[in-house]
Amino acid sequence: MSKVVKRANQPYTINLKSTGSRLKKNYIGWLFILIATAGICIFYFYPMVQALLLSFQSGMGANLEYVGLDNYVRLFKDPTFIAALRNTFIYLLIQVPLMIILALFLSVLLNNATLKFKGFFRTAIFLPCVTSLVAYAVLFKYLFGEKGLINQFLLNLSIISQPLNWLSDPLLAKITIIIAITWRWTGYNMIFYLSALQNIDKSMYEAAEIDGASSLQQFFYITVPMLKPIILFTSIISTIGTLQIFDEIMNITNGGPGNATLSISMYIYNLSFEYSPDFGYAATVSYVIVILVVLLSLIQFKVAGDKK
Amino acid sequence: MMRFSQLRVWLLVVAVVTVLALAACSSDETGGGEAEPDKITAWAWDPYFNIAALEIAKESYGNKLELDVIENAQDDIVQKLNTGLSSGSMKGMPNIVLIEDQRAQGFLQSYPDAFFPIDEYFNLDDFAPYKLEPTSFDGKQYGLPFDTGVTGLFFRTDYLKEAGYTKEDLTNITWERYIEIGKDVKAKTGKDMITLDPNDLGIIRVMIQSAGSWYMKEDGKTVNLVDNEPLRKAFENYKAMMEADFVKANSDWSQFIAAFNSGDVATVPSGNWIAPSIEAEESQAGKWAVAPIPKLDIEGSVNASNQGGSSFYVLNIPGKEKAAEFLGKTFGSNKDFYQNLVVEVGALGTYTPASDGEAYQTENEFFGGQSVISDFSKWMEEIPSVNYGLHTYAIEDILAAEMQNYLKGKSLDDVLADAQAQAEAQLK
Repeated sequence: MSKVVKRANQPYTINLKSTGSRLKKNYIGWLFILIATAGICIFYFYPMVQALLLSFQSGMGANLEYVGLDNYVRLFKDPTFIAALRNTFIYLLIQVPLMIILALFLSVLLNNATLKFKGFFRTAIFLPCVTSLVAYAVLFKYLFGEKGLINQFLLNLSIISQPLNWLSDPLLAKITIIIAITWRWTGYNMIFYLSALQNIDKSMYEAAEIDGASSLQQFFYITVPMLKPIILFTSIISTIGTLQIFDEIMNITNGGPGNATLSISMYIYNLSFEYSPDFGYAATVSYVIVILVVLLSLIQFKVAGDKK
Repeated sequence: MMRFSQLRVWLLVVAVVTVLALAACSSDETGGGEAEPDKITAWAWDPYFNIAALEIAKESYGNKLELDVIENAQDDIVQKLNTGLSSGSMKGMPNIVLIEDQRAQGFLQSYPDAFFPIDEYFNLDDFAPYKLEPTSFDGKQYGLPFDTGVTGLFFRTDYLKEAGYTKEDLTNITWERYIEIGKDVKAKTGKDMITLDPNDLGIIRVMIQSAGSWYMKEDGKTVNLVDNEPLRKAFENYKAMMEADFVKANSDWSQFIAAFNSGDVATVPSGNWIAPSIEAEESQAGKWAVAPIPKLDIEGSVNASNQGGSSFYVLNIPGKEKAAEFLGKTFGSNKDFYQNLVVEVGALGTYTPASDGEAYQTENEFFGGQSVISDFSKWMEEIPSVNYGLHTYAIEDILAAEMQNYLKGKSLDDVLADAQAQAEAQLK
């Protein structure tokens, strides 16, 4: 500060003037981002650090005390956490690839220049994304209920002889959750692909056609490579989303039957509000999600990202 | 000139940061000298039940208190209390809050200074003893008991008659006998005996409390699953019911209600609070009756148990004396008020002097002229007292998962041993 003042006291020269005004410009620039930076620090990084500190504490409600790494050791011995982790990975490994492939498939179909009512189909597939998470989850709960539409439909077609217990059978409950998330999020990913498809030069397809490439070959050798950054982006977004999945499970199965559909986020909720509150351990479990998101994103970048 | 403008910029920067920092960090200094508020706020969750009860209490208190009852879903109350109390700031907290008995110990022990002891405001001996244990902590009474969850076996007299059973045949029976009758009813009428949600082990809790047992030992902390004889029996009964093929599955509250309103099941063993939902189906008037809940086939088990029920708590914030006095004068000691409560909202309290009042003797036409309230209050006094402890819901989630394994064929010894090990690992 004193340096700046001293320099400003020196005789006026052209060179110094420009330095001064550059400095001034910089200050104003810094000022603009300062508000956002301060906001991010206070509302984002500060809670993150606090949560990290919290994850080293344990105790009921307000009686927290530091326990070092005990919470992290406890994770590995906690069967409920392991069940939640396993379920979340089942959702992740089945649902994310399924949804990405489906979204890619649909977007290529809907990008077809000769398709009629394109706007209608695009809207119809995107529409689930504008519904509230809770509203659609409740709807699915009723659709898949014992007397729900799905069971009635299957019964009337004589595919099944008695109603399936979609929500109270461990395997069927997982399938129900996967169907629900896929329905909700496929359209969202499709929109990314559709917009990316607009940027692929038509002449490439023309050239490919002249060279005698089939549509399948065009898809695998032109569309997929061109969409690679977007596929990477959507799979990271979907991975993060699935790791945090909460609303659907809370509303459709409430984690049951037993722990068959429990997700990590739902377990965090239970630890904080459903059981005797242990916010320290709950924070530890949330840090597991953070670590997993970072790890999985890194892996995806390594596997699918550009070599550069 | 330049120095001035630079200084001005820096001043602005400092000012912005200061404002932001202050806005983010400003904490409420709850000084001791805060004045008593004129208004007392209360949180409760059911406008037709506990909120209505508070309104009646306000009236019977002669409207001397400005009471503001705020409706919150029960889950929201639990969340708000947890986040509010753990932040250490009591701002925005109500003076009076309703908490479910099975959660009460969790709150009382998690936030020891947040609640105000109210021993002095009412006579403890006037209340059913089973209700005092979960609402007190460290020798002090914190909760003012509100409703009972005394259980009864609601049953369809017409279905049972068709199968050849009278009310006497269902009175003071064991669960084993209940299962035999259930098989008979299913064979003769084609109706299911009971509806259950595989995720909710409420019926297990009802069974074990009838024998004075719980998921935890008397200290409320030691996990008590593996050597818990009543629990073992309850699991066996549960499996026997499932295998008897007379259980109609439900997966939420509305399906539960629909199961008996539609006439699909013959009995509903439940807390007395289910009565209004049964009575809601008017076409079934006169076809229902209530018997005492079945007991476990072991020594010490009685034909009385509890499911649910809640109590009022006063938070340790300005206005606490006023709030406690209000509760003490109404829910704590007013016999006439309890008569109104029964007549107007059908809420059955645990205040024993009220039970010889007139309203308690009323015969209920829906239940074939049975004096339902009087029967319930009789059973209520026999409910064995247990310490629900801290971890009822955490353990129940573990048990629900293990129950699935048990139904699939895992041996009961392994099921309980595994559940015990899991619970001990989780509840440190």
